Amino acid sequence: MEAIDFNVDNGYLEGIVRGFKGGIITNNVYTNLTQCETLEDLKLQLSSTDYGNFLQNEPSPLSTSTISEKCLERLMDDFEYLRANSVEPLTTFLDYITYGYMIDNVILLITGTLHERDTHELLEKCHPLGAFESMPALCIATNVNELYNTVLIETPLAPYFEKCLSAEDLHEVDIEIIRNKLYKAYIEDFYNYCQKIGGPTAEVMGEILQFEADRRAINITINSFDTELSKEERAKLYPENGLLYPEGISKLSKCDDIEQVKMALDTYHDYAAMFDNGPNQSAEKSLEDKFFEREVHLNKRSFEQQFHFGQFYSYLKLKEQEVRNIVWIAECIAQNQKDKINNYIPIF
Amino acid sequence: MESQKLPETTFLRSEVMSLAQFYIPSEISKQTIGALGELGLVQFRDLNKEVNAFQRTFVSDIRHYDEVARQIRFLKTQIEREDIKIKKSTVEEAAVSKTPKELEELEQKISETEKVVIELNENQRTLDKRYLELTEMRHVIKVTDEFFESSNVKEIQENNLKSDSTTGLLKEENAAADLEAGKKSSVTFVAGVIPRAKINGFERLLWRMLRGNLYMKNAEIEEPIKDPETNELVEKNVFIVFVHGQVLLNKIRKLCESVGATVYPVSENAEQRNEEAIEVLARIEDLDQVLNNTRETRMNKLREIAQNIDAWNTVIRKEKAIYHVMNLLRTDKNSMIAEGWVPTNKIPEIQQCLRDTAEAAGSNVAPIMNEVSYRSVPPTYNVTNKFTKCFQSIVDSYGVSNYREINPALYTIVTFPFLFAIMFGDLGHGTLMFLGALAMVIFEKKLYNYKNEIFEMIFSGRYVILLMGAFSIFTGLVYNDCFSKPLNLFTQNTYSYKEIGNSTEGGVSLATELGTYQRTYAFGMDPAWVDAENKLVFQNSYKMKMSVVIGVIHMLFGTIISLFNYLHFKSFGEILVVFLPELLYMGCIFGYLTFTIIYKWCTHWEGSQAPGLMNMLIYMFLSPGTVEKNEELFPNQGKIQLILLLIAVIAIPVLLLGRPFLQKMKNKNVEELPTTNDVVAYSERDYKPPAWSFAEAFINQGVHTIEYCLSGISHTASYLRLWALSLAHGQLSEVLWNMLLDNIFGLNLGIVLKAIAIFLVIGAWLGLTVAILLIMEGLSAFLHALRLHWVEFNSKFYKGEGHKFYPFSFRKILKKEEN
Repeated sequence: MEAIDFNVDNGYLEGIVRGFKGGIITNNVYTNLTQCETLEDLKLQLSSTDYGNFLQNEPSPLSTSTISEKCLERLMDDFEYLRANSVEPLTTFLDYITYGYMIDNVILLITGTLHERDTHELLEKCHPLGAFESMPALCIATNVNELYNTVLIETPLAPYFEKCLSAEDLHEVDIEIIRNKLYKAYIEDFYNYCQKIGGPTAEVMGEILQFEADRRAINITINSFDTELSKEERAKLYPENGLLYPEGISKLSKCDDIEQVKMALDTYHDYAAMFDNGPNQSAEKSLEDKFFEREVHLNKRSFEQQFHFGQFYSYLKLKEQEVRNIVWIAECIAQNQKDKINNYIPIF
Repeated sequence: MESQKLPETTFLRSEVMSLAQFYIPSEISKQTIGALGELGLVQFRDLNKEVNAFQRTFVSDIRHYDEVARQIRFLKTQIEREDIKIKKSTVEEAAVSKTPKELEELEQKISETEKVVIELNENQRTLDKRYLELTEMRHVIKVTDEFFESSNVKEIQENNLKSDSTTGLLKEENAAADLEAGKKSSVTFVAGVIPRAKINGFERLLWRMLRGNLYMKNAEIEEPIKDPETNELVEKNVFIVFVHGQVLLNKIRKLCESVGATVYPVSENAEQRNEEAIEVLARIEDLDQVLNNTRETRMNKLREIAQNIDAWNTVIRKEKAIYHVMNLLRTDKNSMIAEGWVPTNKIPEIQQCLRDTAEAAGSNVAPIMNEVSYRSVPPTYNVTNKFTKCFQSIVDSYGVSNYREINPALYTIVTFPFLFAIMFGDLGHGTLMFLGALAMVIFEKKLYNYKNEIFEMIFSGRYVILLMGAFSIFTGLVYNDCFSKPLNLFTQNTYSYKEIGNSTEGGVSLATELGTYQRTYAFGMDPAWVDAENKLVFQNSYKMKMSVVIGVIHMLFGTIISLFNYLHFKSFGEILVVFLPELLYMGCIFGYLTFTIIYKWCTHWEGSQAPGLMNMLIYMFLSPGTVEKNEELFPNQGKIQLILLLIAVIAIPVLLLGRPFLQKMKNKNVEELPTTNDVVAYSERDYKPPAWSFAEAFINQGVHTIEYCLSGISHTASYLRLWALSLAHGQLSEVLWNMLLDNIFGLNLGIVLKAIAIFLVIGAWLGLTVAILLIMEGLSAFLHALRLHWVEFNSKFYKGEGHKFYPFSFRKILKKEEN
């Protein structure tokens, strides 16, 4: 059915997003980028890509933060264009994508306020995709209840937040727990929403969000070693829509060190392979990078199907990865660390 | 020697090109390239292909000028924001190339100017900010004042109300806060300004944060306030919030700060407020004066810059372009080597230019320029003028001609408007079009700078339109059509239409009737046809045959042009195996058809029915050699047709097999020759001749043969569009006339009413004539004429696989930027 009336509402945007996808930097360009000697070279090289003259009016010398800022600005422009032209249910879908960034912003602001950072500085650091109107007011909250009652109650994050109101005061560990609880609620909600849409969207997004859930579960497990987080507490943080749920999750919740994690994931081929480090460990990429690679792979695959919303999500994620890559290369050039420059994650 | 004679510039073929190698002493290389850029006759080739784009010698210079260009852009946006007119640089200013010292001074000047402007901007911004704060302060004081005054009155009222009411908790609290506002110090207030769009969210936040324990009041500021950071006008509101206690107050302050509201200290005391208000007003006045001064200084500075900025920009653009070219050059000890295509007959001019540059730069070594041998294909350079340019672009949009191939643009000048006019034949419409184009040609200079995309497109084709109009006048005369009405130009009152028209009664058509009048109309169609019943039948037969005749002539002409191409490229074998079979095939079938059409026109078929040509052509194939007696056009027709058919059939295999074998023979010879003769040119060293394989050549020729033979029929049929469009055009204009004008002329109205009606209807008729017949029909006829040239005509001889000559020229670079 999707094939019949999908294009009525979303055909235009699908065309646009596929066009955007065509502008994602290819390996060829990355090779050229890595050969740059200075950031000025980088600017020259980028001007021949879809980024065009986006750095043209920046005075020299360039800094990596300007590059990253401008890249994000481009991404935002594109995304806002999609959002402004979308109709339901795509609009809600696109909104859902931004909730993840909202969570990050909320956590960033809370942590920042806790450490008594300057409010404006913090606001500048927030991801533009996750900005919402009452966001600045987060800075004045001192405990979770207040946070919820004054600010978050009118944001879409409110239902997620309800579940972690038990945390009494805000300190480092609690914030991490709040973040993970929020994320768990968010991913599960997003997953259910995609399943409700059905069709290829459910299929494609299901796969991506399952991976996202598993990645979080594995990361939570690994990061919780040697902290005061109890296993029961930890088990509550695992999202319950991943491939690992329920067996893998229950195994993970009992792990004490990385070897046990490896064992627990042994039967899941895709994840087991990530822990399989091969002979020369030092040269290998970190686990995080491997997760990113897998994410890129899944997102690339979503363009192989038509008539679904997954490609909007994928486009954003791929573009984000691209920005990370560019910034990585720029950093390597700026700090003269040429030997690490090839550690970016190629997309196409 | 004869070889010293320079080749002439013709429009028939592209210019003869040479590959030139320049040895330029390093110290004057920049000036030399600059001078060549002014001349605009050299297309430089890349001699550093193996070097990455940003590892080349002059990348840093380019980047340097990028920075200067950025500064200029910055200044430009500043100027444009203030709506100051930028003075265009004169040609003289732009033509002078600068010495390094002048350049350095210029750069310094630009960057200094940038600094000054930034500083001025900064000053103004701080002043603006002060001003903004003061105005906001003024509003806050005003609103607070009003509020306190009215609350005194309210106080009493609320007091009364409170005693007997059971109003909600909130309201009570508000009233309490209100009451205590003046007396107790524990109830304090915050006043400030916030953008109007945020006021609702702000209020909600406050309410939730303080659980309703507040009293908030806000008022709109009527005039929008200019934000000094973005220069945008923002609508704002003043708000006053009353709360209990210092803790909450601090909280609110912090919230205000993070939400983007500005808080102003306003005292509770009315007298103090008065004093504050007076002080603020005084300061605003002071600031106003300072602000005006600053603004004036800044405007003056910008106006001064506006005088020069275009000239600066030109200089910097040129410098950048020079370095881009210099990146293509190879460095060799003390000199730079450049290679590029030049038109052979311009070589003396270029050499003179090189000598002049060396002299001007005071160098004792002049750059050397040599012609070197080449094997790759030179670019195509067709010299055009303002008249031929548009015709050339009609051809180029199909494909740029191969090097030295015959350029169809020359023939297009006549054939294009002519084919157009066949479809657009109407004296009236043609005259309108001609006059319109004539106006554009006459006021050429004035209109040249008028910028409008659609107009520019039409304007660039003004000479084509002029000719199209002129030819349409001619065909309009031939068709005897003027706004769908015939003109009686040559026979004066020899007969009345009515009389003849009436004689058509009883099924006797006018056409046969006319024969008895024994008169010939001198030029074009006899106007007597206008009322004839069989007018359309006659016109159709006439126009259809005319289309075929013109089409076949056009195509045969194209085939013959290919002969001259073969002669020019000295491929005599192909004349035998390609040109000849093609000509014979086309000539024997469609040439013969044309002949019979004209033969039939010229013969007087006394009484008898003339034989049909369509069947003749069909049976020429179906039953070769025989023609029925009553269908015969001329004696021995069957035998002649058989011979023609045989020739055409034999031509096909020759065409199919000839070229591949010919090429095979030729290629064998080539392979025996030594492949490397000393190549001097750097850009030619990695040249690889295109690979040739028999199978490929055979397939290509097979495709060509099939295409040519089939297209004989389909292309001939394609020319029938001439008839179809001409018919459509004629009918459409007739409909327009009959529906609008005829109806009105026939109306039985009073003279005044009729005059008004005619006036209105003529307006409508004219408007529709221009919109539908001139523009829409014109466009469609244009398109069909274009197709007939691109497909039917060009396919007979035109390869169109060349690449265009792009000389390094400042004029082109600067022009490109303007658009």
